[in-house]
Amino acid sequence: MVPIKYNVRNLVVRKSTTAAAAFGLALVVFVFACALMLANGIERTLGRAASPDVVVVMRKGSDTEMTSTVEDKQVSLVLAQAAQIGAAKKPVGVGEVLAVVLLDKVGVDGVSNVTVRGVTEDVFAFRPSAKIIEGRAANPGSDEVVIGSGLKGRFKGMNIGESFELKKNRPMKVVGIFDDDGSAFESEVWADVHVVRQAFGRSGSVSSVRVRLDSPSKFDAFKTLVEGDRQLGLIAMREADYVEKQSQATGIMLKILGGMVAFFFGVGAMIGATITMNAQVAGRSREIGTLRALGFSKGSILFSFLIESLVLSLTGGVVGAVAAIGMKAVKLTMLNMGTFTEIVFGFEPTPTIIISAVGLSAFMGLLGGFLPAVRAARVSPVEAMRG
Amino acid sequence: MSTESTNERTSKPNAEAKAMQSDVPEQYRKNATPERGKAIIELSGVTKTFFRGKEPLTVLDGLSLSIEEGGFEALMGPSGSGKSTLLNLIAGLDRPTSGKAIIAGNDIGAMSDGELAKFRARHIGFIFQSYNLMPVLTARENVELPLLLTKLSSTERRKRAETALRVTGLENRMDHYPRQLSGGQEQRVAIARAIVHDPTILVCDEPTGDLDRKSADDILELLTKLNVDFKKTILMVTHDPAAADRATITRHLNKGRLE
Ligand SMILES: Nc1ncnc2c1ncn2[C@@H]1O[C@H](COP(=O)(O)OP(=O)(O)OP(=O)(O)O)[C@@H](O)[C@H]1O
Ligand SMILES: [Mg+2]
Repeated sequence: MVPIKYNVRNLVVRKSTTAAAAFGLALVVFVFACALMLANGIERTLGRAASPDVVVVMRKGSDTEMTSTVEDKQVSLVLAQAAQIGAAKKPVGVGEVLAVVLLDKVGVDGVSNVTVRGVTEDVFAFRPSAKIIEGRAANPGSDEVVIGSGLKGRFKGMNIGESFELKKNRPMKVVGIFDDDGSAFESEVWADVHVVRQAFGRSGSVSSVRVRLDSPSKFDAFKTLVEGDRQLGLIAMREADYVEKQSQATGIMLKILGGMVAFFFGVGAMIGATITMNAQVAGRSREIGTLRALGFSKGSILFSFLIESLVLSLTGGVVGAVAAIGMKAVKLTMLNMGTFTEIVFGFEPTPTIIISAVGLSAFMGLLGGFLPAVRAARVSPVEAMRG
Repeated sequence: MSTESTNERTSKPNAEAKAMQSDVPEQYRKNATPERGKAIIELSGVTKTFFRGKEPLTVLDGLSLSIEEGGFEALMGPSGSGKSTLLNLIAGLDRPTSGKAIIAGNDIGAMSDGELAKFRARHIGFIFQSYNLMPVLTARENVELPLLLTKLSSTERRKRAETALRVTGLENRMDHYPRQLSGGQEQRVAIARAIVHDPTILVCDEPTGDLDRKSADDILELLTKLNVDFKKTILMVTHDPAAADRATITRHLNKGRLE
């Protein structure tokens, strides 16, 4: 076998062409890894809002809480059904109403949708992971609200002591900020359910009911009970499934987008690798001929040049992957395709993402380097004799 | 050409080489007593025809030749007469169009590319006009290359490469890269690479073509030493009459035929 140092040193010797080709590959890996990290970040952010024992009940045919209506009578019925199956102590569940407000962004021009959740006073008891980290909880029945930490300072009025308009001439005052382990709830405003219903003319109904069963295994029984009553016209979903459905559209879109960008960039970078390696084979034909003359087989020449291309692409791949991991520090906001509201999330790398991104570079290197390697293997040993 | 005069000229390096032989491993002494008279290179009726488009060009035309083991032969002739083409056939880089080329018992025309590669690795040491060292490898690493095709351990490979470099007088240049060496020194590295795996035949295509007189003489001295002291069979193409003087036999090639 031709020693690998022969290939590595050849790459080092031609620093600038190596760097140029590796940069192209790094870019592809970076884009590809970022898209996957983003999709993962979104899924995780939304996924954090889900508890395994919580069930969301909505109107049949509604994909999101935003478009669902559940009447007050039905709310008490659902709560009773949950208690019958076996629910966690108090509160068994909460009926909440969802609305959207347009808020001005801070720092940049433009407005964005922000979700306002009308909550009962039980909200913090129902969601133990949510905690006030600044200020205090809102007084029930008042125009006071608490906001998720993801919103703080990013929109006009989103800070303690400031206010925003829920509706025209309906100012709401921010009195506290809450955290929820980085979940999508952190991108919501929590206001009093009655105030929101009144402001949006939705008295007598809520958007959804969430109940907490005393065991995730009781979901099927609860679902059968709720959906068995055709008159109610409700559906029950695990909160985790609901959230996954919400993030699916965005996640899939990102993955497709990232995949497409990576594909087109990838073809370019691969052609770059092919051109670089082809130039090497042409420029080193006497060296290759000499190796063949010394007795190295066609196979070992093919292998040697594949290795060279692989080392080149892995160099790019590792640089791209490290740069992508660096994106962990960056936070983004994005429109949630499910609800058309803004959520804040980050790039979240996983070992799988990083390995597949680096693997992609290896794949591109081998594919792009294949034809040049075949060319190298075909160099005649007679080339060694040519002056 | 007279064998005697060649040997006389090397009497001094001969003593020096004898002294060195004690620490030269068995690999260079293997052919210490070649069978005189035994042909190691046998060509009969060899032709080589190239095609330029549809135009056939017969470069070697029914050529027959026999070279004894342990010989040091020079091949001269005008440019384009087919010297390199002939050398390529003998070295197993190419196959004859017709006729037989039996080299160290191997029928070159009948072997596959893979078999030829193994044949070269086993039997041929190459010395090229422009040295053909790998620029990114040190002298030692260049010399080790042929040994990578053997089953030798890395310490053994290293030891043998160092011995070969010592034989060619480069013990102080082992870790130098080719660009840090003079032309003469580069050719010495190439010669070390050509002998390190103890091949049957050394094949040289104008080994002094790129060198000044002094370096050329040093290289010729070294080749003579390899022939006389290490009993290497050498076939050398050259334009240089002084180089041909070193050989025991000089043959002349003209228009594809030996004169
Ligand atoms: N692969 C090839 N295809 C076509 N023609 C070739 C090929 N190799 C050699 N020739 C031709 O064969 C003839 C002999 O070439 P060769 O290299 O053997 O000459 P040479 O005696 O070594 O010459 P020089 O002294 O210039 O090195 C030349 O006319 C050359 O152009
Ligand atoms: Mg020639």
